[in-house]
Amino acid sequence: MSRSQATAEEEALRERFERDVLPLLPNLYAAALRLTRNPSDAEDLVQETYLRAYRGFGGFQEGTNLRAWMYRILTNTFINSYRKKQREPVTISDDDVEDWYLYDRLGGSTEASAETSVLERIPDEDVQRALEALPEQFRMAVWLADVEGFSYKEIAEILDVPIGTVMSRLHRGRKSLQKALWETVRERGLVRD
Amino acid sequence: MRRIELFLDGELGDDLRVEIEEHLILCGPCTDHSDFHRNLKALIRSKCGCDEVPAHLLERISRAIHSQTPPA
Repeated sequence: MSRSQATAEEEALRERFERDVLPLLPNLYAAALRLTRNPSDAEDLVQETYLRAYRGFGGFQEGTNLRAWMYRILTNTFINSYRKKQREPVTISDDDVEDWYLYDRLGGSTEASAETSVLERIPDEDVQRALEALPEQFRMAVWLADVEGFSYKEIAEILDVPIGTVMSRLHRGRKSLQKALWETVRERGLVRD
Repeated sequence: MRRIELFLDGELGDDLRVEIEEHLILCGPCTDHSDFHRNLKALIRSKCGCDEVPAHLLERISRAIHSQTPPA
């Protein structure tokens, strides 16, 4: 292959990468923020993710799930490079949290059918903090399902765990999140005690 | 709860999904619970996924990519 041919192919690949992958930046940055919990590490994590993706992009099959592929790289990069820096609780205490924890409590403290409007009055930052307080494996599962709308099968592939594990992490992560949101609602005085 | 969770995540097979849908039409309490958890999902999505990307980050990434050896 001549030098100019190789360059043209390389250029085409780079253009395709920029066209298809760069638009995912807002989603990946938000995910990185939830994972690292600070803007500076989030930027570094996203940049490293993009560089790794770019290096491997020749092997990415066009037409397959690019978003899932990028999230897998993001997750692996985080685990390999950033997690070591952070002290992470790996357990979650949800044994005392019933399934309908938040609904049941809001139902007893608000007017009829006002449960959802209480939630909407919680500041964005408080919901973000509640999510960020979840141990990382639960946080990521909830993020991928609820923010990104991935299927259980896709999440299993991204996190490299069985589907049953995805279901368990989602269920327990959401219960723990309900408890954290209830604490926020009370601290903010959004319901009567 | 588990079923509602699977239902809201779009993870039930057609038969079970239809069964839940039919039940929800008839059962007020289950509808309230289901609606609440659907709203909770939507809330997490709208409040956690909207961080503004720093203006310099796209440029920083583009520059880093351009300085790389092209992918094999």
